[in-house]
Amino acid sequence: MYELFIALRHLTSRRRQTIFSVLAVGLAVMLLVWSQAMMVGFTDEMYSKTVDRMAHVTVEPQEDEDYIHLYHKLTGDIRGIDGVVGVSPVLSGPATFEYKDKNKNVVIQGIQVDAHDSVLHINDDIVEGSFRDLEVSSNSVVVGDALAEKLDVEIGDTIDASFPEANPAALKVVGIYDSGTPLDETMAITSQSTAQGFLDVSNVVNSILVRVDDRERAQAISEEIDAMGYPASGWKETNPEIIQTLKLEGTSNAVILGLIIIIASFGIVSTLFMAVMEKTKEIGMLMAMGVPRRSIMLIFVMESGILGLLGAVLGVALGAGLAIQMGSYDYGMEVMAGITTIPFVVRLQDAVIIVLFTFLLNLIAGIYPASRASKLNPVEAIGRE
Amino acid sequence: MSDIPIIQIKNLTKIFGDGVEIKALDGVDLYIKRGEFMSIIGPSGSGKSTLLNQIGILDTPTSGTILLNGVDVTKMSDKERSRTRNKELGFIFQYHHLLPDFDALENVMIPLLISGVKSSQARKVARKVLDEVGLGDRMKHRPNQLSGGQNQRVAIARALVNKPSIVIGDEPTGNLDSKSSDSIYELLRKLNREHEQTFILVTHDEQMAAKTDRVIRLVDGKVVEDLRDGASVREI
Ligand SMILES: Nc1ncnc2c1ncn2[C@@H]1O[C@H](COP(=O)(O)OP(=O)(O)O)[C@@H](O)[C@H]1O
Ligand SMILES: [Mg+2]
Repeated sequence: MYELFIALRHLTSRRRQTIFSVLAVGLAVMLLVWSQAMMVGFTDEMYSKTVDRMAHVTVEPQEDEDYIHLYHKLTGDIRGIDGVVGVSPVLSGPATFEYKDKNKNVVIQGIQVDAHDSVLHINDDIVEGSFRDLEVSSNSVVVGDALAEKLDVEIGDTIDASFPEANPAALKVVGIYDSGTPLDETMAITSQSTAQGFLDVSNVVNSILVRVDDRERAQAISEEIDAMGYPASGWKETNPEIIQTLKLEGTSNAVILGLIIIIASFGIVSTLFMAVMEKTKEIGMLMAMGVPRRSIMLIFVMESGILGLLGAVLGVALGAGLAIQMGSYDYGMEVMAGITTIPFVVRLQDAVIIVLFTFLLNLIAGIYPASRASKLNPVEAIGRE
Repeated sequence: MSDIPIIQIKNLTKIFGDGVEIKALDGVDLYIKRGEFMSIIGPSGSGKSTLLNQIGILDTPTSGTILLNGVDVTKMSDKERSRTRNKELGFIFQYHHLLPDFDALENVMIPLLISGVKSSQARKVARKVLDEVGLGDRMKHRPNQLSGGQNQRVAIARALVNKPSIVIGDEPTGNLDSKSSDSIYELLRKLNREHEQTFILVTHDEQMAAKTDRVIRLVDGKVVEDLRDGASVREI
């Protein structure tokens, strides 16, 4: 492999240009790795924060049924599945809330407080009063802060709830919550028995919400529940738009940074062009010694590829190092809701893809100057002196 | 060894032309025997280098044929031409054209590496040839650390290391003082005697040319004189 021998020697002899080219590519790659790590980290964090607030798996009544009748047994069975950490049977239905001259259409959710908290951590969202009181006195309700504002109610006020085919009820406000979602304006939470009385149904529910320990396993667990005869779906199925949005942002980020690497690689192309010009006589002499045109081409493509590979490896090392360093630094103030560190995540797969991409890109970029070198006429290259 | 000429040149013409056409070679016929030690002389611009580049298959003719060892080189692919240059031809130019990034030993090794010889073997052979040209103690020096005459010796070692059947030199001593020039000539002569290789040297030094076995004179791209040991080889 004399081509490699010659290519390597060219690179070590042109030390300054070599270092410069490697640094240029390295810095671009570093930027890509670093920002990719930040993006993955934030995406991860956003997933956690968003998915944290929703049921990981939702179980519905069997086909042609309005309710899940034997929910006690089903709840127990689901709790027995490995990886399930919370199960909450919920009875919900529509209602019209009236307070003084204001009214609003809402959804009433009848829950068991402890069970529901184990799935959605509702107690974290309470701003006034408490969910606990729902189970102390019947005909009580906890409303979202936006709904409270709309109806102009405070703790202790009594709302008139009604709906066609429902038993009208007077519900006393015992708590106000703020989840930061649009549900704050449309959802009212009562005890399960209050909801049963209002909706005029027996001891049934119309959904079971499930929390799992690893959100990526939600799909698998929903399939296990499916197998028990009740249709269940994971959070990705119920909220496809979440993944869509995050994916889109990730793509545009990678495109911009990919462009930076392409620009850095142009630097390599131009150094290579200079090298070809400088080495014209040598190339002619190599041809006279019997190096075929293909091998001349190979020598210069190798030079470009080696520079790209070194730059990529350096960049990945620097980028990952920087990300890990910054990721472990506690800023002492919130950089995002509830966190004081920037959540960098360096994934091996990203590093491998970036190295391969940069290497291939530089191989391709090297083709043009290399083919110029290989097309030289040896007599003219050696020159007449 | 057969009497078939190692080089047969028939009616070779080379025209350079962008705009004005220059007939650098004009119907050259030339047969060269294996082991011949010959020189080509003639005024500047008479076509000496052009003829040598044709023999070295570094360039293609406008018309006519060149046979090396009976094979028509004008019909070869790039790969075959490269292989022939590597195996059968050794080049020495007026300037040494050594690769500046490699030391003397590496420069001499490269033709061997190109032909596929393993690096350890190549090193051994290259050492021997460098010894032969009298540079055994300068192997690790790069071209910029050697004198003109020393570099030319390295270039000669490089031209000979693959044991080519034909060695061509385009004014190989043209850039040297007369003392180094003489010693280079003696070296080439010695190598020719020892290895039975064919040497074709272009020179403008008539005294040196007179010391070779055969002298061809070119004028305006035509062979006007062909003398072997002072006697005319053929009617022109
Ligand atoms: N690449 C070229 N393009 C144009 N003209 C050339 C080229 N090479 C040689 N010539 C011309 O061909 C003629 C022969 O040149 P050359 O063989 O170099 O002469 P010599 O070596 O005898 O001095 C000269 O007139 C020279 O100018
Ligand atoms: Mg000349």
